[in-house]
Amino acid sequence: MATEHIEAHEESHPGPRQYVIIGIILVVITGIEVGLFYIEANAALIVWLLILSSLAKFLIVVGFFMHLKFDDRRFALLFFFPLLIMVSLVVVLMALFSTLTR
Amino acid sequence: MVALANIGLIPRPVHPTGVWSWLTTVDHKRIGLLYGFTALAFSILGGIESLIIRAQLAAPNQSIVSPETYNSLFTMHGTTMVFMVVMPAGAAFFNYMVPLQIGARDVAFPRLNAFSYWVFLFGALLMNFSFFVGAFPDIGWFGYAPLTTNEYTTTGATDYWLLGLQVMGIGSLAAGFNFAVTILNLRAPGMTLMRMPLFTWMTLIVAFLLILAFPPLTIALTFLLFDRFFDMNFFNVSAGADPLLWQHLFWIFGHPEVYVLILPAMGIVSDVLPTFSRKPLFGYPMIVFAGIVIGFLGFGVWAHHMFTTGLGGWASAAFAGSTMVIAVPTGVKLFNWLGTMWGGSLRFKTPMLFAVGFIAMFLLGGLSGVMHAVVPVDTQQQDTYFIVAHFHYVLVGGSIFGLMAGLYYWWPKMTGRMLSERLGKWHFWLMFAGFNITFFPMHFLGVIGMPRRIYTYDADQGWAALNALVSAGSLVLTFSVLLLLVNLAISLRRGEKAGDNPWEAPSLEWATSSPPHHYNFAVVPTVRSRYPLWDEEANVVEPPPLPPHEEPHMPSPSYWPLMLAFSIVMLAVGLLIWQWHALIGIGFIVVMMVLGLRSIYGWVYEPPAVEAPAAVHAHT
Amino acid sequence: MYFDTTVDPHRTSTGLNNRKMLMWAFLGSDVLFFGTLIATHLVYRGQSLVGHQEDIFSIPITSISTFVLLMSSLAMVLALSGIQRGNLQTMRLWIAVTAIFGAIFVGFQMFEFHEFVQEGLTPRTNLFGSTFFTMTGFHGAHVTIGVIWLWSLFFASFKWKAGTETALHVEIAGLYWHFVDIVWVVIFGIVYLVGAYGAEDRLLPPVSALGG
Ligand SMILES: [Cu+2]
Repeated sequence: MATEHIEAHEESHPGPRQYVIIGIILVVITGIEVGLFYIEANAALIVWLLILSSLAKFLIVVGFFMHLKFDDRRFALLFFFPLLIMVSLVVVLMALFSTLTR
Repeated sequence: MVALANIGLIPRPVHPTGVWSWLTTVDHKRIGLLYGFTALAFSILGGIESLIIRAQLAAPNQSIVSPETYNSLFTMHGTTMVFMVVMPAGAAFFNYMVPLQIGARDVAFPRLNAFSYWVFLFGALLMNFSFFVGAFPDIGWFGYAPLTTNEYTTTGATDYWLLGLQVMGIGSLAAGFNFAVTILNLRAPGMTLMRMPLFTWMTLIVAFLLILAFPPLTIALTFLLFDRFFDMNFFNVSAGADPLLWQHLFWIFGHPEVYVLILPAMGIVSDVLPTFSRKPLFGYPMIVFAGIVIGFLGFGVWAHHMFTTGLGGWASAAFAGSTMVIAVPTGVKLFNWLGTMWGGSLRFKTPMLFAVGFIAMFLLGGLSGVMHAVVPVDTQQQDTYFIVAHFHYVLVGGSIFGLMAGLYYWWPKMTGRMLSERLGKWHFWLMFAGFNITFFPMHFLGVIGMPRRIYTYDADQGWAALNALVSAGSLVLTFSVLLLLVNLAISLRRGEKAGDNPWEAPSLEWATSSPPHHYNFAVVPTVRSRYPLWDEEANVVEPPPLPPHEEPHMPSPSYWPLMLAFSIVMLAVGLLIWQWHALIGIGFIVVMMVLGLRSIYGWVYEPPAVEAPAAVHAHT
Repeated sequence: MYFDTTVDPHRTSTGLNNRKMLMWAFLGSDVLFFGTLIATHLVYRGQSLVGHQEDIFSIPITSISTFVLLMSSLAMVLALSGIQRGNLQTMRLWIAVTAIFGAIFVGFQMFEFHEFVQEGLTPRTNLFGSTFFTMTGFHGAHVTIGVIWLWSLFFASFKWKAGTETALHVEIAGLYWHFVDIVWVVIFGIVYLVGAYGAEDRLLPPVSALGG
């Protein structure tokens, strides 16, 4: 009974091996970020790459470590709705304080 | 003290009656009554503050109070009415009614619910305690920094204001989490989201507004706290700080807060109108949808409070646009309410009178609100009595009228006794007249230039006659509230017995006894329609009360919510002591942190119920 | 409508667990707490009149602490995986690793704060000091609470039986822990790396790159 449950579990959820792989990916992205930081190039390009890589790490942790990719969609709603509001607020506040063009 | 005395395993309290039963209660109905009673007590305080204001302004060049006292009066009147009257009054109804309306036995987290109340009460007391140590806060209910930093305040009352508000905010957040989960998860079988009574729907939206709107306020208060207590620079303009930062953060909270105040009233009215029109709510899905849209858009309009700060053309235009848009779902609701009454067999009992009064008065407040979406008009009216008129039409004509409808509607359910219809009608008409005499002339006063927050004016400014009228109106308003208190007292002593469903209403709270058993429903009802008591009347016979040994196991009372709330407010007190003597203050804070941690562990490890059967734990 | 005596009182309407839903709602709320802190830091960026700003960051050291926190998240998910397989020993091992890594992260942060103060940057120095210490301090407080929570679970688990109930204790603590991790992902990416990129050229902070 217990083993059946675990096998059924394995199909949809990652197991320890996958978690370790995901962990390695996260470390690699972080390494790339730090590498980007030391490259002298077009500032806009580097800044956007840093933002995108942070976003990627964010989504990987939320999706796999927090199981949101496999869990009930309504949990995702509880989390991403506030996130949407907050990201909008940050962008609008930065625009109002003219941070973006300073 | 019992809890402190033995730090070992503390049995859960079991008092069925008496003071301890109230201090340790986790019953949503009792907590609702505590909220209601507290709101009533603070409304008397806030009312007295406003009466002194009206006495001072009744005639030109009076000096009943000093200018400093006047500042304190309007500050505490606003703060009290918003945070200690209308919010807890809404909380009283959603604590008492939501579990009943969805056919649940209690909320999802009963102890968290008790914690919400105690931490709210302690925060409110802390803020008002400033009176006994010198001065009342005198910074306006919005506490604009940098004017609230050390540099520009003369008394320590601002510390009490910000710490009190911070502590109360914790209660609001906890209540928001609790009711979001309760409404989503504890509905009776068959109670789909689109079968929920409107009051429950609006409470759900309010819960999410609390969850999302209080963090920005909490952080803004933290910044102010750090500036005031630890000399940081968040609002220090000479260090390069932006003087508008506080305004932005405060109004990001402040506008959703307006919906926290008004949505419960809208929910009550949406439940009362169908009952007294004997007809389903017109456009139920549209009202629900409009409520959700209002909640969402409410986060995108905050800068309409800041048009005169020079946001720039594009920003002003954008916020003017979003403010006009948010009026649309509100208008949708108004038409739906009218559509509900249209062709109904109307019964103008007191709750219905207040509900209809709400529609009319809220309409006026809403219309003057849309006017402020027009930036030039807003610029003209900023900081005048026109604004005071506008938000009192929303918050008194709207929120308070709606809450009054709820009080008259649900009082029989909560006490088992009817209120006098005769006194109720006198109350309504006097309140309606008094309210309009008080606040309608303020529109004119604003337009002819009388500014807000001035403690007196000259005779030759032409404001004397209207101000005298306003002050007279406030007396009528006060008298009508006294009639309400008399009505409540008479009802408690010798009110006519209310049956289970005196209004022939359709929702589940009327399917159980009045007042309900502590377990709400002897057996959990199954719902098959939006108006269960109308559509399946034949099936609605609540089984007789259960014999004691068959009663469902309800969560036992607990000391820990009270203790945790106490330790949190004492942390704030510790900060105040710190200002006076650093070492004693830090020591006090450490002690209270230990007590708080002890309370959390006590909370987590105490059994869910006294002698609960082991099987109960299996699924939680 | 009728009254049913057979309803299971512990069933939820959505089928979702109450406490797990509470945790997700809390995290949604916490997004706005951290969001407000980060927003304030960003709008005050480059506005300080005196003292150190992003130039004070030591990216190599913060990269290491970021790595430690990421690894703690991995350990956390392995702990959950352990108890979901009914293996309390595995769970306990990884919970301990998570908590230790978390404590190391807090240690790094205390070292960083200490260094900054030595170099003359305190919360009172300038706007940057106020927003930076408050934001990262708030995050550090979250990590500290998480460490206390994890050790509490560790010691409590000696009385546990593996099952859905106990797995849920770990899962909910894990949600909190991973959330604290992703907040750091954002702070490290946006505040440290984007913030400090080209910090020596104070006249043109690179965020202006966003606005073209
Ligand atoms: Cu507004």
